[in-house]
Amino acid sequence: MNLPIETVDLGKRYGKVIAVEHLSLRVAEGEIYAFLGLNGAGKTTTIRLLLGMIKPTWGTAQVLQTRVRLGSRKPWAAVGYLVETPHSYQELTVFENLEVARRLHPGTTPEAVSRIIERMGLAAYADRRAGTLSQGNAQRLGLAKALLHTPRLLLLDEPANGLDPAGIVEIRELLLELTREQGVTVFLASHNLAEVSRLAQRIGILHQGRLLQELDVDELERKRRRRLLVRARDLEAARLALAIAGHPAAMLRDGTLELTDLPSLEHPDDIASLLVQAGVPPTQVMVEEEDLEQYFLRLVGINGGHNHA
Amino acid sequence: MHDLTNAVWIELRKATRSRMPLFTALGFLVLACGLAFLMFIYKYPTFARSIGLISAKANLVGGAATWPYYLGILGQAIAIGGLLVFSLVESWVFGREFADGTLKDLLAVPVARANILLAKFIVVVLWSLFLTVMLVLVSLLLGATMGLSQGTTEVFWHGTVTLAVAACLVIVDVFPFAFFASVGRGYLLPMGVVLLVLVLGNVVTIAGWGTYFPWAVPALYAGLTGKGNLEAASYLLVLLTGLAGMAGTYLWWKYADQNR
Repeated sequence: MNLPIETVDLGKRYGKVIAVEHLSLRVAEGEIYAFLGLNGAGKTTTIRLLLGMIKPTWGTAQVLQTRVRLGSRKPWAAVGYLVETPHSYQELTVFENLEVARRLHPGTTPEAVSRIIERMGLAAYADRRAGTLSQGNAQRLGLAKALLHTPRLLLLDEPANGLDPAGIVEIRELLLELTREQGVTVFLASHNLAEVSRLAQRIGILHQGRLLQELDVDELERKRRRRLLVRARDLEAARLALAIAGHPAAMLRDGTLELTDLPSLEHPDDIASLLVQAGVPPTQVMVEEEDLEQYFLRLVGINGGHNHA
Repeated sequence: MHDLTNAVWIELRKATRSRMPLFTALGFLVLACGLAFLMFIYKYPTFARSIGLISAKANLVGGAATWPYYLGILGQAIAIGGLLVFSLVESWVFGREFADGTLKDLLAVPVARANILLAKFIVVVLWSLFLTVMLVLVSLLLGATMGLSQGTTEVFWHGTVTLAVAACLVIVDVFPFAFFASVGRGYLLPMGVVLLVLVLGNVVTIAGWGTYFPWAVPALYAGLTGKGNLEAASYLLVLLTGLAGMAGTYLWWKYADQNR
């Protein structure tokens, strides 16, 4: 199988601090793999390990079938990347910054610079010094540098940082187009859960340097917790009626009944009828699905997911 | 070779677009004016006293308004001023990548790191040579304007060779500052080291060991102590210092963790 990224037991320790450990990843060709984690989870360290900027304490990494080694020239001709905040040479114009990037990728034609400027919506700023750009345009310049040489693999650290909503949509569509039409593989690290859920086909959840879970989007759908929330004027009576009918309900702190049994989730109309017949008609019946954020917080054990009384 | 040409183009573009050339050129121009001012005082001491340029108690013994003396202090200015200014150029060219966070864009690229570093050293050498030539030309012009005496062909030839060799010694001497800028990830460490080197240079020269202190060798060569007591080992030490600086920088860029 052709794996653009493969790591085996990869890890990095700084003194007594373990930034990443036991990381075994397999990213398939043409997929968008999102690395999800809180600040300090080890996302950037992983990207630096994959780019050969820091040497692993344990394990190995292969990028485009090449073992990653510090200071090596391979396989970077086919890799584009954006690590943390994009920095550019402030005194150079947008065009010159991209020309610098082009000359660092031999074989990239001079036309590629103008092309990427157009594509990233930087034409109006081409002759502006990078130091005068807004955060959003600096981010666009960073992405332009990553995409300039039409790489087969993109490693992007928080690619949506600093972009306005329209810019976020634009970049999302661009990345989807690159994977769909050119088979580019995208590995992105982010803490923006909403963005990740819209973009990625597979998600790796990283917490305190460890990969807690890897799942594809369909799997996420299945694993996300669903619950039926019921409100009534007499909650205790409603809970009793549901319990008698074989639907155990938990009382939440905010005065709502929570049902998680499958029949309730699949037939909320039956629950409503049952309560009406028991003389405690519901004032609200709602199926709520856990979103990625709640799922993530529940997984990493941080309060913020569904809470119970 | 093509990669090296591209890398040199990149470094030249970055350097010429920055303020570094302006500031370092201004520094050397101020130095040239200072030396010319000194020669003016030697040439016209009574006038200088009468208009208050120097105090009535100023001691002008030891100097003379002649080309040999002028070229001699010019050599020392290159040796000592060059150490400061060239190390500043070296620190900027290497340290800026760390200070500005642009280093990461130079690391995972299909261009050998040796080429990127060599291009930086080439730009430092070119700019240092340019500054030296500028300082010498401006100084010669000012000296000619003042009509200094003893300006024979032999004096100019000897002076030119001395200045050129002193400049080359300093340029090689400052290569380790690329390493200090890289290890210190910015400008502070190399600037601290250059001050330390200047102080130590004075101390070891007074103690009589200056010939074995690589950063004191250019000033000694230019005639700081008034006699040419350098040995072959002195020049070899300068060469080894430069090579060690280049090698250390390469090894640091290639094998150290780069988190900036």
